[in-house]
Amino acid sequence: MLKVDQLFKKFGSKIIVNRVSFAVDSEIRVVVGLNGSGKSTLLKVMAGIWPQDGGSVFIGDRNMTHLAPEDRQVGYVPQHPALFRTMTVKENIRYCLRNGRGSEEMVENLIEMLELGEILHQRADTLSGGFQSRVSMARALASNPQVMLLDEPLSDLDVAIKEKLLPQFKKALKALRMPVVYVTHDAMEADVMGDRFSVMVRGNLSGIGSAQEAFDVVRSNVS
Amino acid sequence: MLGKMWENSPNTAGRLMNKNLIAVLFTPLLLLLVIYPLVALLLNLELQGIIKTVQDRLFWDSVKNTVLAALVAAALGVLLAIGFGFLHLFLRESLLYRIANLMNDLPIALPHTVAGLALLLAFGRKTFGFVGPTGLAFTVTAVVLAMFFVSYPLAARAVASAVDRMDLETIDVARTLGDSPTKAYIRIALPSLGEALFSGFVLAFARSLGEFAAVIMFGGNVPGSTQVLASYVFTKVEEGELAMAVTASAFCVLLSLSLVCGLSLGRRRLA
Repeated sequence: MLKVDQLFKKFGSKIIVNRVSFAVDSEIRVVVGLNGSGKSTLLKVMAGIWPQDGGSVFIGDRNMTHLAPEDRQVGYVPQHPALFRTMTVKENIRYCLRNGRGSEEMVENLIEMLELGEILHQRADTLSGGFQSRVSMARALASNPQVMLLDEPLSDLDVAIKEKLLPQFKKALKALRMPVVYVTHDAMEADVMGDRFSVMVRGNLSGIGSAQEAFDVVRSNVS
Repeated sequence: MLGKMWENSPNTAGRLMNKNLIAVLFTPLLLLLVIYPLVALLLNLELQGIIKTVQDRLFWDSVKNTVLAALVAAALGVLLAIGFGFLHLFLRESLLYRIANLMNDLPIALPHTVAGLALLLAFGRKTFGFVGPTGLAFTVTAVVLAMFFVSYPLAARAVASAVDRMDLETIDVARTLGDSPTKAYIRIALPSLGEALFSGFVLAFARSLGEFAAVIMFGGNVPGSTQVLASYVFTKVEEGELAMAVTASAFCVLLSLSLVCGLSLGRRRLA
């Protein structure tokens, strides 16, 4: 289980994440919110990429709050795929093995599950947007993380490609039975991916019943 | 008809001036202040001076000293710039980074004679007397250190500005995949800094080739030993051998021009 307690982050005097608390079991928690509401910052702080200014993050019983990103065992998929562009697809997916993370078996399973077999030897910077997103997902999952954090991983893609990739992504995430936090501002994505939903408004996070309700809250906060 | 032209000309001239004002001002200034001095130098080349210089062993010694010392200084500069790039990426809030960043600007503002004197006091007879009667001063090592001191900031700036243009999320992802900052820098950042490292090397090399003041203060001007091209030219002017000084200077211009062309070609190939 992932547990976030009173997490707080500010830049200068501006509060970006305001004492956020929530827990995620082996399920996909979708977080929706407007641009600038603090969703991406929340993920980066949970991943240890940016230090928090208060609060704590637990994975199971382990307190991760003061650990560096490399010690948290968190899978992170950023908004833009951020592939290692001078490497091939295979080298990208196998990257974690260099640090003793994941396994060959896991890598092979993910290549099959996300249908990446045909492009394994292509350089990452030659791929289409859809393939880049799949490689980014496979690379994060291959490290056998205890938690997955996805920051609008399909936001750059056309609707048709999204519709094809969403079930694949959901299957891959569900297969590993771990807590997943999935940030998006796309209603269809939220509906397909989410088991539970939260909405983030000006740094404050609150749980909510469905994707539709979450977007109703977002809409009511558009000024 | 003439009257009609006159009538139209103020507007036409006005439009032309608005459109080309900068070009109109820039072209003569470029010709007068940048290109003309170089042309004047080349126009003063004399066959006798060329023959005399080419036959002078000390000229070739100074060329060898300049190129070798500049190569070593530029390589050292790039190595240190790689370190600075790491600070720029991961430790920008640290005191060490702030000091290093300030030091990047200092040699540009500092008179190079002062830099040479500082090096002389730091590595000269008083502190480094155990390595020789003059310490490191007036040796080829001193020439390298003087060149390095004035050229390293160019390499450091090239690397820092390339780090600023990087996709920083690749580093974030690498960290979550188990990389320490050092591993992420070596495995992910450095391969993407190839062009900046190349540019930094060439800029530092070019700057080192032309260094005079710091080299003469710390390395001296010992013909055949620590004399570099810039000090060779200076010596020839002092000796009244203007034709030889002009030949050596023209050689410097050619060397610099080929470096600049090489840099441009290399950048295109790496892009």
